[in-house]
This record gives sequence, structure tokens and C-alpha cells, in this order.
Amino acid sequence: MGKYSDSEEWEHIIPIPQDDGGPNPLAAIAYTEEYSEAMSYLRAVMAKNEKSDRVLGLTEDIIQMNPAHYTVWLYRADILLELQKNLVQELEWLNTIAIRHHKNFQIWHHRQVIMSHIPTMPSSELSFFARMFAKDAKNYHVWSYRQWLVRRFSLWDSELPYVESLLQSDVRNNSAWNHRWFVVFARHTNPEKHSIKNDDADSRVEPETLEREIEYTKAAILMAPQNQSPWNYLRGVLRKQGKGLEGMKGFAEQFADLEKEDEVRVAMHWTSWLICMPKSKKRNCQARH
Amino acid sequence: MPSTLKIKPKRRKAIHKSKSRVPLKQLHRRDGYGSLTSCGKNYMASDTAIGEDEQEELISRDGTDPLSLEATFDQRQGGPQVPDLYTTPPPIKDSLTTDTSISQDNTVQQCLPHLFASGKSLLSVNAHGVPSLEREGHVDFLHDAIENARYIPYDAVRPWVLYWSLTAFSLLGENVETYQQRVVETLSVCQNLSGGFGAGHGQLSHVATSYAAVLSLAIVGGSESLDMIGRRALWRWLGQLKQSDGGFSMCVGGEEDVRGAYCSMTIISLLALPLELPPNAPTRAHGFTSFLDGLPEYLSRCQTFEGGISGRPQSEAHGAYAFCALACLCILGPPHEMLRKYLDLPLLISWLSSRQHAPEGGFSGRTNKLVDGCYSHWVGGCWPLIEAAIKGSQPSALTITPKFGSLYNQEGLIRYILSCCQADDGGMRDKPSTYPDAYHTCYTLAGLSSTQYFSYYNGTRNAEAGYPLDSAFQWGFSKKSPQRDGNEEEELVDAEDMLVSLHPIYVIPWGAVERSHGLFSQKTGF
Repeated sequence: MGKYSDSEEWEHIIPIPQDDGGPNPLAAIAYTEEYSEAMSYLRAVMAKNEKSDRVLGLTEDIIQMNPAHYTVWLYRADILLELQKNLVQELEWLNTIAIRHHKNFQIWHHRQVIMSHIPTMPSSELSFFARMFAKDAKNYHVWSYRQWLVRRFSLWDSELPYVESLLQSDVRNNSAWNHRWFVVFARHTNPEKHSIKNDDADSRVEPETLEREIEYTKAAILMAPQNQSPWNYLRGVLRKQGKGLEGMKGFAEQFADLEKEDEVRVAMHWTSWLICMPKSKKRNCQARH
Repeated sequence: MPSTLKIKPKRRKAIHKSKSRVPLKQLHRRDGYGSLTSCGKNYMASDTAIGEDEQEELISRDGTDPLSLEATFDQRQGGPQVPDLYTTPPPIKDSLTTDTSISQDNTVQQCLPHLFASGKSLLSVNAHGVPSLEREGHVDFLHDAIENARYIPYDAVRPWVLYWSLTAFSLLGENVETYQQRVVETLSVCQNLSGGFGAGHGQLSHVATSYAAVLSLAIVGGSESLDMIGRRALWRWLGQLKQSDGGFSMCVGGEEDVRGAYCSMTIISLLALPLELPPNAPTRAHGFTSFLDGLPEYLSRCQTFEGGISGRPQSEAHGAYAFCALACLCILGPPHEMLRKYLDLPLLISWLSSRQHAPEGGFSGRTNKLVDGCYSHWVGGCWPLIEAAIKGSQPSALTITPKFGSLYNQEGLIRYILSCCQADDGGMRDKPSTYPDAYHTCYTLAGLSSTQYFSYYNGTRNAEAGYPLDSAFQWGFSKKSPQRDGNEEEELVDAEDMLVSLHPIYVIPWGAVERSHGLFSQKTGF
């Protein structure tokens, strides 16, 4: 007896019971009766490729019990699109699941699939990120989804202030630095063509933009010189500029005077840069190391 | 007054002459490129970041607690020698406190008592303060994991539980052939007639669970195992995953990322599936004819400005994706050709070097994130591939000189794994504050194993003969040899803590790779 077997709505469906594989299955799971029953009905309707309101309800039921279940998410997306459901409503429902299961990542692909069928971005979408990032400002899947969203709806202009607000609260948030790179530089590149290996200097970026980025990053380094994120970023900007690291010598020497051996030892990121420099300077660095 | 802490080294076998040991001296004196001191992560938090309660818990000042900081002073006089690098927070800290620095500081504080060789492992450390590998506990833990996955979320990863457990068993030298029949039976309900394996009965095929299923079958061996795979259907299904940008999606209608490429190419090469795209593959409409079309270029585009590799172009550089991309490139060709051609290698090495933290010794997955035992493999597993790319083809292990031994600090990684990742009741974990699981047990042990062996590419380019993707099968391994300058050092890890070696690309035992390759590479058609 259960939620589905007792229901008139489901009486013509013959559930396909769980088969764990053989008499002594490995990694067997202690299913609850509710989960096991719902999955048996899902197998039955998927075998018939049924896409209906009742199956939509069934997928919701299973997702509540196991949001990591990729099969259910994929099937749910198919149903929503085929039945032309209200997709904005789906996003609202997703918000509640995402907040509750903030480490789950199946949600984000599903959200992307749904959003790719919505012509204009709902205004609530960006405020939802604030709630997610409040829980984990480095959530990889949320950031990947945000990049996709920015590209799809051309949100480039409003992103920079947003990134800066995140860096304001944690200048060590490397995901935010990566997003800054995405907004400032990747926007001008084709993700289907561009590679770091083959493209150092990038003429499409205005010299003023490069200067602005260098100044911003230097200021961030001054806040916490041992923070590696802005050093990596600065190195990337200098590559874009087509210049080497030597131009930063004056800036970097305030953290370590190269004439004093002890100081060189502790200025970690700057000294690791020296290793990457042309030979004459490299030798100098190694001699003092 | 602090009490005097005497750590009694268990099994203080001062001289292990086995050639299998990690030479301590070599590990100690690394301080150049790739060392903890020059490229390591830094800690910027002030001490006030740690809650008072936590501090009290971790650093008791009553003098009777073996975790007390004072205890280490005595320890250095008579007990195990743990170098300062692994017990001392970095010399300079930025005063600015942020969420990142607070988490980092808390992580260091939770690791230090373990790295000091104190606490529960007081009587079970060697002369260097390195705890022994608790084999029996880990085997018991794995038995429990593979018999009973328990939790409903595991319903989406069942074949993975098999792979993690079987790989970890293999690393520990356990016989896994006894699982043959049960592995076949369990996976038979995951396999779909339309090709590929899902996570369980009635679930859609997914390339990650297919990867785990195929590797599990290869590990247990036996004629039934690999023969149960519907190779023709699998090939057709994989054709639907190929994307127009060169990469692969995880399942039909699913997300595309670097895992898709690595898992697909692992399956294709290990089972010697045709490289030609099946007739129904959607990307044939884009002019693609082969699974390989656009693939290395796609992987190249996943390298970020930081030097690391992201899940898809322009995302953040991440250790797990880095391994997937490097291993995939090494399936496509010799490491010294593929990695040099498609990646900015110096930038990658720079980023990879920064993944190792001091004093913890373990690896993090991203810039300004925390150490986690699983990156012992994801990041640790990148190094042999990088080293092979630098060295080129080696006819045998004999040509490997000690100075090319390692580009990262192996002592640090060994200490992190054995001191911080072993749970009290068996199993391995992310870090001391977390619970163990099969995933972390598999990948921390894989990382530990990679510190004990050299893997080297010994291929000679000969594309005409045999299966075109033959590079991944032209690797060899040998136990690491001791210092050759005649200066015998005490070894960091005891002989009984040696693990079995894994193939650096397929991450299963070498024999399992050979068996599978031998079975399928001579086949014509399905």
C-alpha cells in the first residue's frame, strides 16, 4: 500500500519494481518504501514514454526525496517542454530546491535548459544569485550557470559592479576574480575558438581597459599582498597587453627589496614571478634564493 | 606547566633498504620551482578569526593534552622529527580577514594537531612522525561501502561506489576477483539496450556511470565481465554525446564538460571502439566524422588565464577538470607531443604548483580554496603526466634520474594523507573535520600510491600498427629508488605501507588495463 498504488489516478499503471541485480547485489541502497514505490512508477511511465501532469508530479515527488537523481531531472525537463508548461513557475519552484540543497548540481543544468526556452530573463533571477552566493560564494556550478546567463542575455554591463561588490566582501574569492576575467576579457573572445595557448596579446581590448584592470588589481594586491588571486589576474592582464612581467618590477619591489635576501624569501608570489622572467633576471633571482 | 611529551615511535625501523622507499633527503631539500616555500599557498587570516571555543578545543594549554603546542618542543628533542615546514603556519600573514582567510585558518588549525604526530596516533607513528597506514581499518570500511551504499542519494552513483571500492581494494593489495560475478550482476541492471550504463535499474545512460562500470568490469577481470558490455550499442550511444565544439556531453540532453571528454575517450580507447562516429551521430551534420574531431582543441580552450583547466571554456581553473583534460590528451597521443602542443605548459605548472599548501601538505582544487584529500589524485595525478611531457619518451625506468624525481613536495602530500586523511575507524576523508567515504578513500590512496612509483611514457611513435589510440598503453612504472649518492636516509614511509601502482591515465591497476587492451585491440569490428 502506498501513495501511488492506492491512488485511482495511477491504477492502470503497472509499476516496474526495483531490480538491484542478482541475489547479492553490490552497493545496495536502503530505499525507503516511499522512494522505492515512486521509482517503480517512474520506471513504468518512462518505459511508455508518458509525458503528463501526473508524471510531472511524480518527478517532483522523487526530486524532493533525491535531488541528485539526474534521470528524473532530464525526464522532467522533457515533460515541461513538451507540455509547454509555465517555465517561470518552474524557476520559482527550483529556487526552493536550490536553496535547500545548495550543493546539488543537477539543478543548475536543469535551470539552464529551462532558461534557454525563456525569451527574456525574469527580473528575480539575479537576486536569486545573491541568496545562493550568501551560502557559498565559490559554488562552481552556480558560477558556470551565471556565465551562461550573462552570455545568453548580454548582461555584460551590469556585471562589473556586481563582481566588485563580491570582491569588496572577500578579495580572496577566486571565483569572483575568474568572473571578472570573463566579463572584461572573455566577452571579447569566442569560447569556441579562443585558447590561452595561441592567443597572448589581444588587440580587441582597449588600452584604457587594460590600464584600468592593472590599477584595480594593484589596489587589490595592496589590500592583502599574499593573496594569490590578483597576482594571477595581473599576470593574465599583462599577457593580454603583450608585455612581460618586468614592467611591474617597481610595484612589486615595495613588497621585497631584491637586494635583501630575507625579504625576497617571504614575498612569495613576486619571487615566483621572477622565475618566469628572461634569463638574465632569472639568474639574478636564483642567485639570491 | 606543560608536561613532557614522549612520543614512542612504533616500528622504528631505522634502515629500510628496500628500493621502494621514498628518499627522504630528496624530499627535504626541494625548495625551488614547485616547492611549498616559493609557490605554496599563503594564509592571511589573523588568529582572531578562530572562535575561542575552537581554539580551546584544538590547543589545550593545561599541559596534559597531547595536542598542546608545547608538547612539540619536547617532541623535537627526543621523539619523531617533523620538519617545521609541516608544523608551522606561514611566516607572513596579511592582516585583512575575509571568509576565505577564516576558512583557511580554521583548516590549518584542525590539521596541525594531526601533523604534529600527536593525539590518537601517538603510539603509531614512525621516526618521522608519519602515522602508519591503517590497512585493516580501510579494508573493513570498504567492505562495508561496497556491500551497502545505504543512502538514497547514492542511487545516482551506484557504479561509482563499485569503482571507488574496487580501486581502493586493489591499491591495498586485496583480491577483487571474488567480486566478479556480483559486479557483473549488479551492473547488468544498469546497462541499457540502447547503449551505456545508468546509475541503476531504469536509469538513463550517463557517461560518468558508464566510465565507472567499464573500469569496474576491467578491474575484476574474467571472461564474462568485459564481454557483458554491449560495445556496438555503447559506440552508437557515445556518438550522440559528441558535441559540435569538439567536446562531449555527460548524457543525452545533459551538460557538457571536460569529464565527458575524459570518460568517453577512456571507454572508447580501453574497449577499442571504432573512432569513426556512428552514422546517427548529430555532429556529422557539422562535418565531424571522428570522435577525435575538434577534441584536443576543445581541451586547449579549457585552459584559463590562471594556467589551470576549467570544466568548460572560461570557467574557473579546477584540479579535477585538470586531471580529466590531461589524461584525455594523453589518450589522444604521447604526453610530450599533446601537452606541449595544446597547453601552455609553464603556466599550467605554475598553477599546479600553487595547489600544494603548507603546512598542511595536501592539495587544493582551486586558488584560495582548501586542501582536500581527493585532490591527492586529481592534482597529484596530473604530475606524472606533466613529468612525462617534460621528459619525453623513456625507454626504461633506469634512465630516470633522481633530480627529475618530482615536481612537487611528496613528503608534504604523504604527511597530509597519512596524518590528516585517515579516519579513526577506517576509511579516508577530505580533512580531519569530515567523515570518510568510498570516494575519498579511493582518491587519497591513489594519491599516496603515486608518491611511491614513477610512471613514465615509453612509447615509440608507430601509428601504422594496431589500434590508432595506442599511446595510453605505452606507459611503464617502477618503484621509486633511493638516493644514489650513497647517503642512506631513513625512509619516510614504512615498507608495509606500500600500495599497488595504478595506471596514470585509466586509474585502475596496470594488469586490468593490459587485460582489456589485449582482449579488444585485436578485434576487428564488434
